[in-house]
Amino acid sequence: MFKPITLREPNILIEADIAIIGGGPGGYVCGIRAAQLGLKTVVVEADRLGGECVNYGCIPSKSLISVAKLVDKVKEAEKYGFRASNVSVDFAQLQKWKSEVISRLVSGIELLLRGYHATVILGEAELVAKDRIAVTTSQGKEEISCKNLVIATGTRTSSLPGLEFDGERIISSKEGLELKGPPSRLLIVGGGAIGLEFASMFQKLGSAITVVEIMDQLLPGSDPEVVRVVHRKLESKGVKVFLKSKVAHVDKTDSEARAEIDTPDGKVTLGFDRILVSVGRKPRTEKLNLQKMGVQTDARGYVITDNRMQTNVPGVYAIGDVRGPPLLAHKASKEGIVAAECIAGMPSAADWKVIPDAVFCDPEVASVGLTEAKAAEAGYKVKRSRFQFAALGRALTTGEPEGFVKVVSNEGDGLVLGVQIVGPEASDLISEVALAIEMGATVDDIALTIHPHPTLPEAIMEASESAAGRPIHQLRT
Amino acid sequence: MEFKLPDLGEGITEGEILKLMTKEGDQIKEDQPIVEVMTDKVNVQIPSPRTGKVAKILVKEGDVAKVGQTIMVIDEGGSGPPAPVSTPTSPQPVTASAQVVQVQSPAPSAGVLATPATRRLARELGVDMGKIRGTGPQGRVTDEDVKRSASGSGTSAVAAQAVQTQPSRGAPKEEVVPLRGLRRTIAERMAKSLRTTAQVTHVDEADMTELVLLREAFKGSAEKRGVRLTYLPFIIKALVPALKEFPYVNSTLDEQAGNIILKRYYNMGIATDTDQGLVVPVVKDVDRKDIFEIAGEIEKLSQKARSAQLTLDEVHGSTFTITNVGAIGGLFATPIINVPEVAILGLHKIAKRPVVRDGKIEVRDTTYLSLSFDHRVFDGAYAARFTSRVVETIQDTKKLLSEVL
Repeated sequence: MFKPITLREPNILIEADIAIIGGGPGGYVCGIRAAQLGLKTVVVEADRLGGECVNYGCIPSKSLISVAKLVDKVKEAEKYGFRASNVSVDFAQLQKWKSEVISRLVSGIELLLRGYHATVILGEAELVAKDRIAVTTSQGKEEISCKNLVIATGTRTSSLPGLEFDGERIISSKEGLELKGPPSRLLIVGGGAIGLEFASMFQKLGSAITVVEIMDQLLPGSDPEVVRVVHRKLESKGVKVFLKSKVAHVDKTDSEARAEIDTPDGKVTLGFDRILVSVGRKPRTEKLNLQKMGVQTDARGYVITDNRMQTNVPGVYAIGDVRGPPLLAHKASKEGIVAAECIAGMPSAADWKVIPDAVFCDPEVASVGLTEAKAAEAGYKVKRSRFQFAALGRALTTGEPEGFVKVVSNEGDGLVLGVQIVGPEASDLISEVALAIEMGATVDDIALTIHPHPTLPEAIMEASESAAGRPIHQLRT
Repeated sequence: MEFKLPDLGEGITEGEILKLMTKEGDQIKEDQPIVEVMTDKVNVQIPSPRTGKVAKILVKEGDVAKVGQTIMVIDEGGSGPPAPVSTPTSPQPVTASAQVVQVQSPAPSAGVLATPATRRLARELGVDMGKIRGTGPQGRVTDEDVKRSASGSGTSAVAAQAVQTQPSRGAPKEEVVPLRGLRRTIAERMAKSLRTTAQVTHVDEADMTELVLLREAFKGSAEKRGVRLTYLPFIIKALVPALKEFPYVNSTLDEQAGNIILKRYYNMGIATDTDQGLVVPVVKDVDRKDIFEIAGEIEKLSQKARSAQLTLDEVHGSTFTITNVGAIGGLFATPIINVPEVAILGLHKIAKRPVVRDGKIEVRDTTYLSLSFDHRVFDGAYAARFTSRVVETIQDTKKLLSEVL
């Protein structure tokens, strides 16, 4: 669709106002903004524009998850009076479609960067000095001299000792998204966001799933009431969940991998076709010579910056995952904008109050702001109010009545502190509340806003009405 | 005790905190000035009602405080901890000790309550959001609060840092000048005047030739009395019989009660240009003063205006206002009424102009007079008759002589 990225004569020094290492959701957005602001911009990407998110994370996983959800719906079609026989998934076609989605987004990013006259160089970057980058491309070496540098190299999957990735039996999420079919027996090590998305997805596609989580709940750090809904749903679908457990040992044979799991009730040994390890990520900074440049990192290797994204070395910025958790594409993008604007001399800063997050497990989980526990910890007089999707017309009409919206507000002034949603389209619902919190809205503000009927966001309005002491579709507690 | 902004006089409901003359922890004595407040065009230093220690200051310089609003808490020592201050918003949770007085604050870690766009504005203006006291619901900071705070008194450290670390590329195309102090007062009053009245300007011309001679004649005796005699006292004296004859020009409209209040005293507001902006000191009872007294008062008041030393009394109670831009130039203008008055007279340049007298063209000293009036209170014909009565007096030396002394 597009010509290969900027073919340039090698060995000519490229001069730039801003060089961004990494073309993921942080780096490419930073590149667009910088170029818009008239800075001479170079984006260096070692693999594919769009980074982990577009190529190996958010986008491919959501493609597969959407189809898995559809398959699941069809499986219970008869309940809705809808007959479908001989339903099967052509996994090769599914993967092909997924790749097309990705390609389309990648070429869109390229189009935008080109359109704003940013230069894109595909190759592995090495920091020669804080204002000089060497890039090894397929054509040879490129040198970039830059007034400002933005590190946007992101993170890579962490492995566990004894569970090293072999690309076959023991795989990472990236490989998990490229399988030729659902594994019949899948062990997922790590019950966080990625682990649960895989669990829900492959369960729907026919795998027998086991999840091992070392902490005492799935989605550690999330509101326990929310997690309970997801946990229950997984178990009701036959997913085995081991909490406070870990994989002690794996024996690989020709036909399977046998995992010995330490659980609070003793050892369990089970055979699997695949083991997917999703226990976290670590910063991707090896090639950057950060130490030599004197760029400060924290104990885990994440780059430390101020709220303008600048590191301790003037002219060197860092954005996105490489700055540390939460590892979220939308956070990286906003940070990219801040960095570009600061470099252009604008008074930009990361001053958002909240960063929403969403987990595409079943049912979906999304959260923004403080949970009940965190709000109490912060000294608020916490008012919690919930509204169950089971009482909402729209949720019933789509056959997805599980879950609830929970509004955490400050007693007295009604300030919205946080909202947790578990249920249908939670990921889409959360933005309304993120806006509310950024605007400093109260539960009254949400309750007094007309929400169209019948829609899922009504649940947010109802929970807010309840918080304001005027519930309509539920009894006063 | 809670020290509240006291009643500062007639019609004053709020004042801008210009200067805090003490800080938290200071020992203060009764009657020691502790805060300077700008009200309605003058600055007032307010003394402490008690001796004690300043426990908490609840306003910042630049804030607008309402009469009755608590400005600071004074710990009188020995009489126990200061009483808690009531604030209109949320009580703060957690551990407020007896010594810590709660200030308007949304909540512990929520930070400042403001929209993302307002927060960006604060960054653009180099204002520390944490130091702004919001005037919106629940103490939320509005764009206006940010702009007001941007004038820089209390935020220098942050602003300076922002400037240092964010060198802008090239000179900015716009400069932000906060609307503050006198400028803000003027802005509010002018807008209010145009918003609440039905203003019309009537322009007439006056032959000043006789008056020019008259002033020359009086100059010497004025100097002996130590005053500089301008045309203004003559005009003021010429106005008095006209104001008496046309009482609606010297009135106010009480819209709520549905009454027009005719004033039988004649206090002349004199619009005075200062470095900070327009102020209007008042020469009282001009009907009972001669031109020398009036000239002396005008001189004294304008000096005080320029050095910002006018007292509240000296800017209050005018019944009619004169604005004189003659020294600067121009033909005529449409002055804005100094509400709650209902009319204002603009005086303009006196120049030699060709005039037709008895069928012949003569060179005479003439000027234009611009009367802006509130059409709700009287009509154009009334205004025209009033103005022509003033012109008549100015042009008739005998009549004027009987008035001026």
